[in-house]
Amino acid sequence: MTDVQQAPVEVTAQTSPRFRRRRARQRRRGVPPLRGLLLLAVLLAVWQLVQHGQSAYFPRPSLWWGAVKDLWTGGQLGPAVVATLKTFILALVVATVLGSVVGVLAGRVRLLDRTLGPFLEYCRVMPAAAVVPLAVLFAGYTQKMKIAVVVFAAIWPILLQVRAASRGLNPILLDIAKSMHLGRLGTVRKVLFPSLVPSILLGVRVAAPTVLIIVLLVEILTQVQGVGALIETAQRNFQSAQVYGLVCIAGLLGLLVNALVTLLEGYALRYRPPARS
Amino acid sequence: MATSTTSPAPSRTPGPSRPAAARALRMPRWLNVPGLLFIAVLAGIWELAVDSGALTYQYLPAPSAIVRAGIGLAASGELLGNIAHTLLSTLVGWVIASLIGLALGVWLGLARGPWKYSMATVEVLRAVPAISFVPVAVLLLGFSVRMELVIIVYVSGWPVLVNTIQGVRNVTPTHNDVTRIMHMSTLARIRKIVLPSAAPEVIVGLRLGLALALALAVVAEMVGNPAGIGYALVFQQQALQPEKMFAYVVVIGLLGLLLNSTFVWLTRTAFPGVTALLREEA
Repeated sequence: MTDVQQAPVEVTAQTSPRFRRRRARQRRRGVPPLRGLLLLAVLLAVWQLVQHGQSAYFPRPSLWWGAVKDLWTGGQLGPAVVATLKTFILALVVATVLGSVVGVLAGRVRLLDRTLGPFLEYCRVMPAAAVVPLAVLFAGYTQKMKIAVVVFAAIWPILLQVRAASRGLNPILLDIAKSMHLGRLGTVRKVLFPSLVPSILLGVRVAAPTVLIIVLLVEILTQVQGVGALIETAQRNFQSAQVYGLVCIAGLLGLLVNALVTLLEGYALRYRPPARS
Repeated sequence: MATSTTSPAPSRTPGPSRPAAARALRMPRWLNVPGLLFIAVLAGIWELAVDSGALTYQYLPAPSAIVRAGIGLAASGELLGNIAHTLLSTLVGWVIASLIGLALGVWLGLARGPWKYSMATVEVLRAVPAISFVPVAVLLLGFSVRMELVIIVYVSGWPVLVNTIQGVRNVTPTHNDVTRIMHMSTLARIRKIVLPSAAPEVIVGLRLGLALALALAVVAEMVGNPAGIGYALVFQQQALQPEKMFAYVVVIGLLGLLLNSTFVWLTRTAFPGVTALLREEA
C-alpha cells in the first residue's frame, strides 16, 4: 500500500509505475484498503457536529455510548448479548447437523430428493418472519421456539451445499470402501464424512450471517430475551440513542461473525485450489 | 450460494430410468408426482392427527379448516387486497433498490478512488445485521408505507450493490484494454463490456434482493406498517383465528414461490446465455 522508495530504473513498459500499480491492484483485488473506513468516520463526525442539542430522532453519536453504557451497568445488555450468542451457536450447530444429514440423504437417494423436493423448495422460499407465529403457537415464547425458527430459515445453504457435494461424490471412493469391506458405519466415518467436510464448512460460512440476522429478527418480533428484544423495546420507548447504540452492538456481533467465518473459510478451503475470480 | 432452482435430476436420461408408474401414466417430465404425493400425505396425516385428537395443541387447525378459512378470506376480498399491498410494496421497493444498487455498484466497481475510500465502509455497514435497522426505520418514519419501502430498499439493495461491485471489478483486464484501444466512451464501455460480463453476479444479487424484499415487506408489516399480509398475519394471531393465520402463512409461502419462479423464468428467457453460465457454476 505504501509507496516503496524505488531505485532509478529505466522506465520500460514492464517497469512503468502505471503497469506496476495495475499489477499490484490485481493482486489485491477484493481486499478493500482500510482507508475506506474514512467515509464512515467522516459521516459520524459530521453527524456529531451537526447535532447539538437533544434530538428525538438523530441523537449525536457521543450520546449512543452513554445510552449503551447505562444498559450495561443496568445489567440488561450483558445477559442479552449472551442470550443472543447462545441462540446463535445452538441454532448453527443444529442447522449444521440437520442440514448435513438431510443433504447427504437427498444427494445420495434420488427418489428421496425428488419426493422431498417441492416441500423443501416451499420451505426455502418461506420468509422466516411468517414462521414466527407458527413456532410461537407450538413452543410458546421460549428458547426452543427461537432455535426452531432460526434453523428453519438458515439450514438451506448447508443443505444445498452438502446435497450438491454428495451428488458429485467420486464413485470410486465408494467403490474403494466396498472393496475394503468397510461397514456402513465405516464408510460414513472414513469416506463420506471426510469428503463432505469442506462443503459443510462452506455451507456454515454462508449460513452463519443469516443465523445472526434471524436470531435478531425473532427477538425483535417476539421480545424473547436478546439484543433484538432490547432494540425493539428501546424503539417502543422512543429511546433513540439506545436504539442507535444497540444497532452498533448488533453490528459488532455481525463483524465478529464475519471474522470467524473468514477464518473458517480459509480452513475449509486450504486443500482446494483458490477460487477463480 | 448454490443457485438451486430444483430442476430435478437434470442428468438423468429421459426414457428407461423413469419409474414404471410414471411411464405408464405418461406423466410430463416437470410434474413431480412423488413430491406432490409427499405433501398430500403430510397434509393427510396432519388432518387425521387433529381430527382424532392425537395432537393436542389448543390452536392447531386442520388443513381442511385452513383451506376453508383461505377460501372465506379470498371470497371477502380481504386476501386479495392484502396480497396486492404486499406484492406492490415488495416489487416497488425491489426495483428502486436494484436501480440504486446497480448504479452505485457500477460506479464503485469502475472508479478506483471512490472504491478505495468507501469499500471498507460498505463492508462494515453490510456486516451490521440489516434487520436491526427495522426499529430505526420505525422510530424515524412511524407506522407508514414509507417506512416499509425504506426498509425494503435498504435491505434488498445490499446484495445487488455488493454483487454488482464484484461483477464489475472482475471484468477480464483484457476486455478493459479492448475498450481502451477502441476508444469507447464510458457509457458504451459500461453497456457493451462491463454489464454483460458482470451479468451473472448481478442476476444472483437481484434474485437474493427479491427474496429479501418479500421477507422484509412481511417483517415491516408485522412490526410497523398496519397493512398487507404481514399485518393480517399478526392480527389473526392476536384475534385467536388460527386457521386464518395459517392460511396467510401458506399464502406468503406461495408468494415467495411465485416471485422466485417468475424471476428465474424471466431471466432464463431474457438472458439464456447468462443463466446457462449460472447453472454451470452451481
